[in-house]
Amino acid sequence: MTRRAYSTHVPDFRYITYFAETGSSIVHRMNPWTKLALIVFSVVFVTVVLDIYLAIALLVFALLFYVAARLPIKVIIGWWSMPVLFVVSLSFLYLFTEPGRTLAELNLGGLRLGITGAGVGIMLVLLVKALAVVTVSLTVAMTTRYNYIVHMAYRIMPGVLATVFLLTYRFMFETADEFSDILDAMHSRSGGLVKGVRRSRTFAGIFGIGFVHAFERAETISKAMEARGFTGDLPVTDRLPRPTYKGYALIALAVFVIGVVSYWRYFNINLTGW
Amino acid sequence: MAHIHLEDGAFTPFWLIVWNLIAMLLIGAALMMLKREKVPPSRLTIASMCAAVVFAVFQVEVPTPIGPVHMNFTPLVGILIGPELGAVVVLIVNIFSAAIGHGGWGMVGPNSIVGMVEVTLGYYAFRLLRVRLRRSYFWSGFGATAFALTVSSLLVVFIVGVSEIQGSTLSRTETMSNMLVLAALNIATGIAEGVVTGYVIAFLGRVRPDLLEHHRIPEHDHPRPEPTTEAG
Repeated sequence: MTRRAYSTHVPDFRYITYFAETGSSIVHRMNPWTKLALIVFSVVFVTVVLDIYLAIALLVFALLFYVAARLPIKVIIGWWSMPVLFVVSLSFLYLFTEPGRTLAELNLGGLRLGITGAGVGIMLVLLVKALAVVTVSLTVAMTTRYNYIVHMAYRIMPGVLATVFLLTYRFMFETADEFSDILDAMHSRSGGLVKGVRRSRTFAGIFGIGFVHAFERAETISKAMEARGFTGDLPVTDRLPRPTYKGYALIALAVFVIGVVSYWRYFNINLTGW
Repeated sequence: MAHIHLEDGAFTPFWLIVWNLIAMLLIGAALMMLKREKVPPSRLTIASMCAAVVFAVFQVEVPTPIGPVHMNFTPLVGILIGPELGAVVVLIVNIFSAAIGHGGWGMVGPNSIVGMVEVTLGYYAFRLLRVRLRRSYFWSGFGATAFALTVSSLLVVFIVGVSEIQGSTLSRTETMSNMLVLAALNIATGIAEGVVTGYVIAFLGRVRPDLLEHHRIPEHDHPRPEPTTEAG
């Protein structure tokens, strides 16, 4: 599978592709258009919803979806650390600045820092929403075969975008290894990324070599592809059928749920959200 | 470097639509320009490789006391492949990042706007410094990157400040004050990235000057050497 990843918390695309190509669960067999619609649904849902209980309900649905795909729980928990890190680091300041009842207070030489209930609430809501969408998104990525992604990319995106998107997907594995080598080179010179800034000349040379290698590889691949008739479009080999009746029913249910929660937010509870 | 690390559900639907529409207009303009100049397949391959490299660099977080930051080399991409293809690269990197939870799906638009500003300012600032002001590769790369990343860090503050965080009762000014702390950190990282980019550009100028061909100082601008007179 993978030679090595940067770390355990960064999802490795090779791992994702492995699960997508080898799995045979009910979610793997689900129509990719239906799965794409579920991502859109989850994004719209968390954008419209403010209530933490509804967000938790979506997270539970996302986890059930993940389990139904027969994917290892340990993997998703490791990969959750990145969105958790982002949400906590960005909403950290809201813990102290959001007006509300003070839960705990710290006195630092006259400077009083208080954590408010409203601040904690914002952080929790953002966290649950983030985990729900990331879980749905990674489940779809880990259950959809590459050939279907090619078909969908050319149906959704303009030609140039689809081509760059798919070529990037292919090149990602090589560059991931190259970049792991760069990090190894830094560590072997007793430098991490933080120390690296101080010894920037040496490490810039390493990054520079990385770029030169990337360009040289791209030129070689390009020549090989052009010799085989590449003119800017990648071939779409597999056709993708429309969603089944069950798929349409699921999409209709999702639209209905969005309609209900939107009505609840904008016409019953809070009209000034926009 | 400057990247809105917010996940889905942070912005209201209104602002999400606004920022994504602006991003679609910008990417549409970039695609139209690419269509007009008929990009050869080799440039698409090079742009894809740049996207893969940027994505790889993007995922490695440098921990700081206030929060994680990362380098992304978007100004460098702009300098190497130009703003139009650079815009495409930025969008693709943001789509892949959203797929793994590095910024939400709804943030693809706002983050693409930030990235497009970086590649465009990086390209034109480098051109100004290198071709017009005839600075060295290092200083041109450093100046262009530091400038582009400073502007984009402030743009992140503006986007988040104007949009506000759903559920928060803080005013726009208070939200912007919160974000300014992160912006200061991003600007400091941007200067560090500027130094690294400067050295990378200087390195590329030595080993692969053809990659910087479109930033070459025109030959007629060079002062002609004085003809030597032979003695005797």
